[in-house]
Amino acid sequence: MFRKLIRFSVHHPRLIMAVTVLSVAVSVAQFPRLKVDTDPENMLPEKEFVRVFHHEVKKEFGLYDFIVLGIVNENNPQGVFNVQTLNTIYAITEQVKNIPGVISRELIAPSIKDNIRQGELGSVIFERLMPGPITTAEEALRIRAEAQDNPMFNGTLVSEDGKALCLYLPIEQKNMSYRISQEVFAIVKQFFGEEKYHITGLPVAEDTFGVEMFKQMAVSAPLAGLIIFLLMWWFFRSLTLIMSPMLVAIATVLITMGLLIGFGFPVHIMSSMIPIFLMPIAVLDCVHILSSFFEQYRRLGKRDPAVFAVMDELFTAMLYTSLTSAVGFFSLSFSDIPPVQAFGVFVAIGVMVAWLLTMTFIPAYIALLNEEKLRKIHAPAGEGGEASDLLGRALAGLRRFILARSRLIVVLSVVVVIVSGYGISRITVNDNPVRWFTAGHRIRIADEVLNHHFGGTYTAYLILEAHDKSAEIFKEPEMLRYIERLQRYLAEQGDVGKSTSLVDVVKKVYMELLGGQPENYRIPDTKAAVSQCLISYENSHKPDDLWHMTTPDAAKLNLWIQLKSGDNRDMDRVVRQVESFLGSQAAPFALEHHWAGLTYINLVWQNKMVVGMLVNFFGSFIIVFFMMAFLFRSAALGLISMIPLTITIVFIYSLLGFFGKDYDMPVAVLSALTLGLSIDYAIHFIQRSRELYAVNRSWEQTSTQMFQGPARAIIKNALIIAIGFLPLLAAPLVPYRTVGFFMFTIMFVSSFSTMFILPAITNLAQKTVLAQPESKMFCQCGNCFIVSAAVAVTVIYILRGYSLAGWGPSLSISVAIVAVMGGVCSRVSASAACRLEKKEGKNV
Amino acid sequence: MCKIFGLAGLCLFLCAGGAGNAAPLTVDEIVAKANTVAYYEGSDGRAQVAMTITDSQGRSRKRVFTILRLDMVDGGAQKYYVYFREPADVRDMSYMVWKNVDKDDDRWMYLPALDLVRRIAASDKRSSFVGSHFLYEDISGRALSLDKHELLREDDAVYVVRNTPIESMAVEFSYFDVSIRKDNFLPVKGEYYDKQGKLSRVVEAVEFKDIQGHPTVVKSKATDLAAGGATVTEFTNVEYDLGMDETVFTERYLRRPPEKWLK
Repeated sequence: MFRKLIRFSVHHPRLIMAVTVLSVAVSVAQFPRLKVDTDPENMLPEKEFVRVFHHEVKKEFGLYDFIVLGIVNENNPQGVFNVQTLNTIYAITEQVKNIPGVISRELIAPSIKDNIRQGELGSVIFERLMPGPITTAEEALRIRAEAQDNPMFNGTLVSEDGKALCLYLPIEQKNMSYRISQEVFAIVKQFFGEEKYHITGLPVAEDTFGVEMFKQMAVSAPLAGLIIFLLMWWFFRSLTLIMSPMLVAIATVLITMGLLIGFGFPVHIMSSMIPIFLMPIAVLDCVHILSSFFEQYRRLGKRDPAVFAVMDELFTAMLYTSLTSAVGFFSLSFSDIPPVQAFGVFVAIGVMVAWLLTMTFIPAYIALLNEEKLRKIHAPAGEGGEASDLLGRALAGLRRFILARSRLIVVLSVVVVIVSGYGISRITVNDNPVRWFTAGHRIRIADEVLNHHFGGTYTAYLILEAHDKSAEIFKEPEMLRYIERLQRYLAEQGDVGKSTSLVDVVKKVYMELLGGQPENYRIPDTKAAVSQCLISYENSHKPDDLWHMTTPDAAKLNLWIQLKSGDNRDMDRVVRQVESFLGSQAAPFALEHHWAGLTYINLVWQNKMVVGMLVNFFGSFIIVFFMMAFLFRSAALGLISMIPLTITIVFIYSLLGFFGKDYDMPVAVLSALTLGLSIDYAIHFIQRSRELYAVNRSWEQTSTQMFQGPARAIIKNALIIAIGFLPLLAAPLVPYRTVGFFMFTIMFVSSFSTMFILPAITNLAQKTVLAQPESKMFCQCGNCFIVSAAVAVTVIYILRGYSLAGWGPSLSISVAIVAVMGGVCSRVSASAACRLEKKEGKNV
Repeated sequence: MCKIFGLAGLCLFLCAGGAGNAAPLTVDEIVAKANTVAYYEGSDGRAQVAMTITDSQGRSRKRVFTILRLDMVDGGAQKYYVYFREPADVRDMSYMVWKNVDKDDDRWMYLPALDLVRRIAASDKRSSFVGSHFLYEDISGRALSLDKHELLREDDAVYVVRNTPIESMAVEFSYFDVSIRKDNFLPVKGEYYDKQGKLSRVVEAVEFKDIQGHPTVVKSKATDLAAGGATVTEFTNVEYDLGMDETVFTERYLRRPPEKWLK
């Protein structure tokens, strides 16, 4: 059927062109409906517990996402506590209040927050920390002393060294962060002084990343395209011909993105990467076709027969390379993470779009070239005398070396796998949205500076909930002392920069009420005393501040935790510290605890992602194996074809371990790409070898031919993609660098391992690799069993991947499949047809 | 010096009606009259007060207390005593305010669980009254001299006066409009606009009735439109001219509630 399609394309090129142009036009017409989503929170489904809980907590405790504006003065001996800096901060506060999207009443700033302190005539006074502009140095120092004396401010609003002060700007929505941060920068620019300004916080980092990512997208994908274009031009010397892969790549990207947008999916951080993933995949097959077309055209001298010959030769390999890539990506749809699902499904669709275009558009495009023009296209010099040029001689030498040293190569491969295994064992799983920016980025610098001065700009909330909702347990001194111990324990562990809770408020108010002596900085002895401290606090300008820390019924408490780093690893440690404290020290009242806050949410989705990716990866690995076994009609050959891919993957991932690069979100997603791309060369190599061997029946001849055209195609392919994506290594965003690095290494290592290991193995096991199967696959019991096991695992994988059935039923179904197929296998292999085949096989 | 518009403040229950006046009044006369009507009816008074504080999430809390008021000078100094009954863990807590004309008010509180009487100072009077949406200034009044007054409009029933603070830095609002009933000069609604000119806070008299010849607000409400949430205050057992004596309003009685007057 597909061959008919190719014929049709060659005979009706104009129609194919028209259909392609129309499809692209329809897809591009969807682009205005583009919705952008840069919120990493959407990495979790909306119904996900932690997300729902996070939003409940935000509502219940009146919490908002913050933009943190840090003002640092390193020059003045008093730091920021001098008249000029404080008045500047006052003026900035007044201006940022008016930025749309900033919730001015919840701003944390010295001119807004109330302080409780000792007043005149033995009075206690509630007063804003900095009620208005100041005129004397004494006032500045008083503000410093008061702020640092208040546990709610020290390490949060003001730094302990006095050099820095942070304004916390609560915002209505996270996706306003970038715009608001730009407006804040515009405001601070008006002030000339020795102060330095930094903006940080997860919302800004995440939103800024979103904005820069789209900019980067607009640069990276076209740039990679341009370089691929130039490399192909250099290899094939024919502008006319190489236009076709570029057009296929562009059409693939446009159609896929059009579909994604048309189906109403928002373009997320993940899906913005689709073009960059599809480009190499789309170009790869085309390069094989062009390479082969040059040979065939020279041989046959006519356009259409050359096209058919090329397609005949490459059809199976291209179908399978595309299917395996599609499967690799499609497996991402099993993930729990909606953007990853969309990404996986649409890259898979894109892969098949690319394949379809390759099957139709390329033949049609060639069919439209007139023979005159084609004849003028000179084959590159090297293509004339296959064995004579430098590359040809090198390849011939390589062939001799591999055939002579087959065992050594196999042994070395095993060594590489073992060493890589060690590297993989050292991989640390960690992610941090701030580190998606490269070292010199404004956000990275702000992050370093502010986390150096303060208790930490990364926020998590530990919510404690009483079982007995009516008992007001968070007014009980015993309970507060328990929380005090927890806070002290967390501070001792070192990961938490600062924690703030109702306990700190109660202690501070109690001390000030009693006259301000430091020895009274403690939790009062009775519940009534706690209540009366709190009601006193409610006489301030902002009594609602209390409800950020507890609920009015005192049945819930929010422990505000500040971390100095946004590393998920650190958040993970804090979670475990809390577990260990709550586990080892019984609370005086029954309670349960949950986490909220962006830093914690990132930890949750990252864990899901990493674990999910690992499961996906093994699942797709098995499905790809199944496809290989089916393609080559042999389980053994299926396994062999997986060897270069396996080595490529373990090698690449071991690099992460050896170089201490964290296994993060981009790396996790790239595993699918690695799988899809790495298998390609093995398919081409084995498929072509077998086709050649079927004709010449000699490994000697087959290997000689393999190290001519096919080897060249592989090398060209690898070079084009690897070099095409090298500019990504200079990108200002780390995930793009990661993609560039992966593309480069995948191409390099998988072509290298294919070229060395497959010939070596073939040399050692010629019959397994090259011979047509003696019998149908199912006639051999071993094969039959392996295939049925693969089917069983695939079924488990799909059932579990989509959560269609629990482990129990899935396993039962799989065991049943193996049993049934085992029975079928033994019957089939004993059947007359198979016996007959075996006999014939022996006769051959 | 007079105090103005504690219209929804706790003084409201003491407000008495003035006769309607046909002669055209200047804006200063209107605000002065309203101030007197709002704060200085009878020579003393008492009420049971139940405050229901409801926040933006609909969670509500209750405060129940008894309030006593004694006028020292009509239109001038006053003394207040607030005795808490609910919630249980703040029972017996008490507040005392000496409202002064020529200097800041004096305030004290007694916290029984800490066995402590403390003076409270405040940089301004725009802090919350025990966590409610009413501010101290709503209770003890805002000096007329702090604002410029202009008659915004009037109809058959009310005058609407716009009050713009002379020192705008000291307060969180940019101006507030007060509706004053023409028949009895009772301020019935105050609308506060924030610095961006958005209506952010409303204080209103919801219900009033005649008690001992004084039209008395028996239900008032303060609404925070910016953050959401409102406090409703209900006054019961209102009585005027009980003949209270000044010794009740001393530090000594903070620790020992004057049972006689609190009943």
